[in-house]
Amino acid sequence: MRKILLILTVILTINSLFGQVNKTVKSGEKFIYAASYNMSGLMTQLAQVTMETETVKTSKKTLLHLSCQATTFSKWDTFFKIRDLYESYVDPITLKPSLYKRDIFEGKYTKREKYIFKNDGKTIESTVNKKNTPETKKTFQIGGATQDVVSLLYKVRTIDFSTFKPGQIKSFIVVFDQKEMAVSVKFMGKESVSAGNLGTKTCYKISIGAKTQALRGTDKNIIWLTADSAKIPALIKFSIPVGTGQLTLTNASGL
Amino acid sequence: MRKLFIVLAIVFAILGIVFAVLPLGTLALLPVGLALIFAFIAFIQSDINQKSLPKWILIIMGITLIVVVGKVTLIKDEVAKDEQFEQKKIESKQEDLKDLEDLE
Repeated sequence: MRKILLILTVILTINSLFGQVNKTVKSGEKFIYAASYNMSGLMTQLAQVTMETETVKTSKKTLLHLSCQATTFSKWDTFFKIRDLYESYVDPITLKPSLYKRDIFEGKYTKREKYIFKNDGKTIESTVNKKNTPETKKTFQIGGATQDVVSLLYKVRTIDFSTFKPGQIKSFIVVFDQKEMAVSVKFMGKESVSAGNLGTKTCYKISIGAKTQALRGTDKNIIWLTADSAKIPALIKFSIPVGTGQLTLTNASGL
Repeated sequence: MRKLFIVLAIVFAILGIVFAVLPLGTLALLPVGLALIFAFIAFIQSDINQKSLPKWILIIMGITLIVVVGKVTLIKDEVAKDEQFEQKKIESKQEDLKDLEDLE
């Protein structure tokens, strides 16, 4: 009996340390969003954001490749071209990252970041390339449960919000710009939201909070996840230093 | 007062044309609408021999309005096929696989 209790305790401890087991995020998902930016009170559509997942195999491991790509609509390319790519290679069960990449191309600004998670995810070897700046390499320690921003977005989908009460918060640690920061995921209730080709869906309203210059305001960065087993981000509203905007789901496939 | 409305109409007309050229969508309707209103007021307040300038502002803004509405309704939000970007993604993925192999 003691042994069973000990095994159960170990399992529960591991589960609480490494979070939820992924049964939600599947390979082959493709979500397309229209990104709008608030200009003088009017939402102007600027870009298309595509979130994709695919299975990647190395000689020893099978990983899930998560990618988020932002591309300006062709009418904007002449004025302000954006080609941003955020990627993460994660364990398909735990969504623990092995490699994170950020490739920014916004107008004349470029930046490339690569984080290799070593030592069972406790050490990061980072490489940063900025325009007109020499390449910088840095190795730093992180907590074992630290996520990158892409894998966090998918990790949030594995949370069972059906057991949450409005106002309930779950915390994560994220590494961004070579720094760890606490991110809070607050359940705010349920709302009906238009979800592109899926029609109108009842969604979990989730507020993302972090002490960073990248996000502004309290409860101003919100994700609506469909209240079903897929938990698809149907609508994302964001507030950043240069303004506010939203991502509206237009098409979801591969579910 | 007439002069003030003409100045305002010209300022918003210039803004309206700039916004119509840029892909700002319905946002261009704001300065175009204001230019039309101010030009119309200036037109009413003008004597018969002074109506030329506000009349031309009204005509130009009418054309700009048609252009803006046409652009909004006819031009779809599409992403251009970017061969260079696609190639970059393929090369990046090959590099990633190498990094992941080295990691193990």
